[in-house]
Amino acid sequence: MNADWHEQIQRCMTGDATPEEIAALQAALNDDAELRALYLDYMNLDAALGAAAETAAITENETGRITAFFPRPSARLSPRYWGWLAATAACAALIVFSMLPKHRNSVRVRPDIVAAISATESAIARLSVEPPSLFPAWASPTASLLDQPRIP
Amino acid sequence: MPDLNDQHHDQFLRLFAEHEMALRTFVRLLLPSRGDASEVMQKVAVVLWQKFAKFDATRDFRKWAFGVARYEALACLRDRARDRHVFDDELVGRLADEAEAAGQRHEAQREALETCLQKLPERQRELVLTAYTKGTRMDELAAQRGQTAMSLYKMLHRIRQALLECVRRTVSQEELA
Repeated sequence: MNADWHEQIQRCMTGDATPEEIAALQAALNDDAELRALYLDYMNLDAALGAAAETAAITENETGRITAFFPRPSARLSPRYWGWLAATAACAALIVFSMLPKHRNSVRVRPDIVAAISATESAIARLSVEPPSLFPAWASPTASLLDQPRIP
Repeated sequence: MPDLNDQHHDQFLRLFAEHEMALRTFVRLLLPSRGDASEVMQKVAVVLWQKFAKFDATRDFRKWAFGVARYEALACLRDRARDRHVFDDELVGRLADEAEAAGQRHEAQREALETCLQKLPERQRELVLTAYTKGTRMDELAAQRGQTAMSLYKMLHRIRQALLECVRRTVSQEELA
């Protein structure tokens, strides 16, 4: 397939072809089934790109709206998260102190206390890592920047 | 109890939504001008709705809708008969027949497009989607990018050609699998 036909078909598709170019393309299309298939595939692509652009615009508007309502958490913990961390640690300490036996000589630790302490410690440990995103990856405007393979 | 008109309306919406993309593509295939294709598509939607009351539900909706779309597209071309930027009726008829026969292939290519777009470098993907966004003017886009209109057109031509080759290759590989 002559590479020039790709150019000519696209010029026709975008409305940039001259009447002479249209006439030449028409004559070629009349005689060449493969060229007609190429032409139809290009027009199909053109329609599909229009639909894809429309979808991308809608998605971007929705992401912008979502981001406006739910600001993306920053990489560093904000003061709000430190406050939450401190409050949770205080609650955990209260739970532990309230459940500890009153006799200081006791060396046996109750399993339920251990479980409670362990679960609370795990929860506190999770707080020290980056909080989960407030919206799914598909809505992230930067998700598409990850691991971009090139056309082979 | 749902109103009979509501049921009728819902039925039409379901059928139209199912075939809308294929109809839109078919109209685009027949009309070189995007503006004409958009206008004709709106007219097709109106005509289909107006005639849906008399549509026999046992018939093939897609075939009926494509018939209406072909009629409206050819009517538009006849209006432009003096415009030398359109193909003659005979070629358009042949393209319409071959487009209907290629329906499955075209649908597969449309499905492959998303993957092929993701394979593009991000800047090229953004460029082509911006170029296809409604209201985008190519001369303004070129100016924003610090390019001439000619170089922008050439860049878009290369991107489209790459995308076409990608979707064709993807569909061929799927057919062989």
